[in-house]
Amino acid sequence: MTSIIKLEMEKKTFKKKGFSILQDFELEVEPGERLSIIGESGVGKTSLLNIMGLLDTHYQGNYKLFDSSVKDLSQNKLAEWRNRKIGFVLQESALIHSLTIEENIKLPLLYANFEKDPAAQDHFKRIITRIGIESILKKKPLECSGGQRSRAVFARAVIMNPQIILADEPTASLDSKNKEIIINLLFDMNKEFNTTIITVTHDLDVANRHERIITLERNE
Amino acid sequence: MRILRFFITRIFLKRWILVLGMVLLLFLANYLSFTAARSIISTFQGNEQIETLNQEGTFIANLDPDSKTEDETINVEKTRKLYAYLDKKYTYALQVHGFVTSLENEHEMEVTFSYINEEAYKLNQLGLSQGNHLTFNYHLNQDQIPVLVGAGLAGTYPIGSTIEIKDPVTQQVVNLDVQGVLEKNTYRSNFYAPNSKNYYNFAMILPVNEEFVQSAGLDLHVNGLMDIALLDSTDEEARNFKKQIQENLGMEFNLFTQQENVKYFEDYYVYSLKIICTITLLLLIVIICLATWNTLKSIRLMIKDFTINLAVGLSYSKLRAIFYGYFGLLISINLALLFAITAFNRYGFWLRKENMLATYGIFGLISMDWLALLIVLFIDLMIGFTIVELTIKKIKRIPISVGVLN
Repeated sequence: MTSIIKLEMEKKTFKKKGFSILQDFELEVEPGERLSIIGESGVGKTSLLNIMGLLDTHYQGNYKLFDSSVKDLSQNKLAEWRNRKIGFVLQESALIHSLTIEENIKLPLLYANFEKDPAAQDHFKRIITRIGIESILKKKPLECSGGQRSRAVFARAVIMNPQIILADEPTASLDSKNKEIIINLLFDMNKEFNTTIITVTHDLDVANRHERIITLERNE
Repeated sequence: MRILRFFITRIFLKRWILVLGMVLLLFLANYLSFTAARSIISTFQGNEQIETLNQEGTFIANLDPDSKTEDETINVEKTRKLYAYLDKKYTYALQVHGFVTSLENEHEMEVTFSYINEEAYKLNQLGLSQGNHLTFNYHLNQDQIPVLVGAGLAGTYPIGSTIEIKDPVTQQVVNLDVQGVLEKNTYRSNFYAPNSKNYYNFAMILPVNEEFVQSAGLDLHVNGLMDIALLDSTDEEARNFKKQIQENLGMEFNLFTQQENVKYFEDYYVYSLKIICTITLLLLIVIICLATWNTLKSIRLMIKDFTINLAVGLSYSKLRAIFYGYFGLLISINLALLFAITAFNRYGFWLRKENMLATYGIFGLISMDWLALLIVLFIDLMIGFTIVELTIKKIKRIPISVGVLN
């Protein structure tokens, strides 16, 4: 099967801080794969996610996403792919506090110009019903519980039906019940739509439920 | 447009204090630039008018600041004698403006009579929208006096109409015959404050000849001396005239030569323009720095919001367009505000019936106002460009990472 992600990292350097991470590191991910990335703090897990999520293009190495070299893509193309092909499942705090839950979830639709699209509206309704957050749509994030906010972040990540979901500590600060809900939602997406799931986590219990685990280690 | 609206209403306005700060800073920059630009344009216009007098052999009279302004012994016999001497020995330009008269008209404004002799008329080259230029060879008590009327009086007193009125300077009943209509917003600048001017929209220009001058009263004679210009004269002739004034009226006058005038205008007005420009520039730099600081501060406060937006599909080019749209809106609001203030000021002259300041235009705005607004727009575009590009540069320097969201 062709890899959806083919990353050949030479290194990622933080010039101001004067150190490098992710040196001589290779990663291939297949469509529909469930991959977990673990490792101690500061080893580069989030940086790797930034690179794979097209947020960071300042590194040495080659990154092919959907068979296209990322370094050849324009800033606009990168933004378009972040909007349509990649969904970020982040911690529950990753919501804009001045917007309602509905506005937060619909943010990707705004950039895709699908805000008024009937099909997108139907999709939105299906997602919020499934996730069970109909009652909080008009509320602001700070008026909701941590679990509700996590589900809203998840809804925003899947609103464009992306091919890849990048999850950064999605269950941190959640109780066991809400942790289970989020993990199940992620894996349901994987089963139904063959969505590739890449999860960065400290939680070995969460990591063990993925098909493959990668452990990042600090460079000597 | 939807994204811009979204950003303005849902992101920027949620930190309204920063938006308000930016509006105030921009308004300060706009008002300052507008005032400076208008002052410079007005001074430039005034200098252009004065420039017609800056010729070889021209001496402009100017009451010495140390001279007593009015001698109790001055009487009309003495001033007539002085003007008779002037008519005999000199070519001179005489223009006296400001004799306010009640003369019925559709705008219910008072009318200012402005007296001008042939030499001053030639120098001033007043533009007409209709009719013919003035002639000066009339006889005061026999003929109708040809006059020009300001644009505001043309409706009530069209060309060919006659007006019987007691003339304020001769105190005689005269018949005025309207010969022509001045162009809208014709003005006369003050010789010694070129950025200050009177508008002729509600003025009547009366030609003055030797006979008229001799029939006029003390007001015209003395006021006429204040700005009188000797033409085609020599230093000696100027000195003689100065002596005549002193002997006849006991007043001390200076008669500046062309070189002295040019030097005076350059020293005084060019210097004051330089001061205005320097102060404006310095204040603009301070305001731009404050505005940039304000924006960068906003960015720091909104970095989480920007990161989320970038993660879900916002691009830097869209963000740049959003910022340009945002600043475009702020600039439009400020320009509209500036326009409203200027319109309120200009239209106020009409409402307060200030006949020497009432001007024609949209809400009374004249060419110098529009030009100043255009300059402000240009300055705003430069400010907007500087701030947006600095902001985008700053945002691009901040590594976008999902890490800031945790």
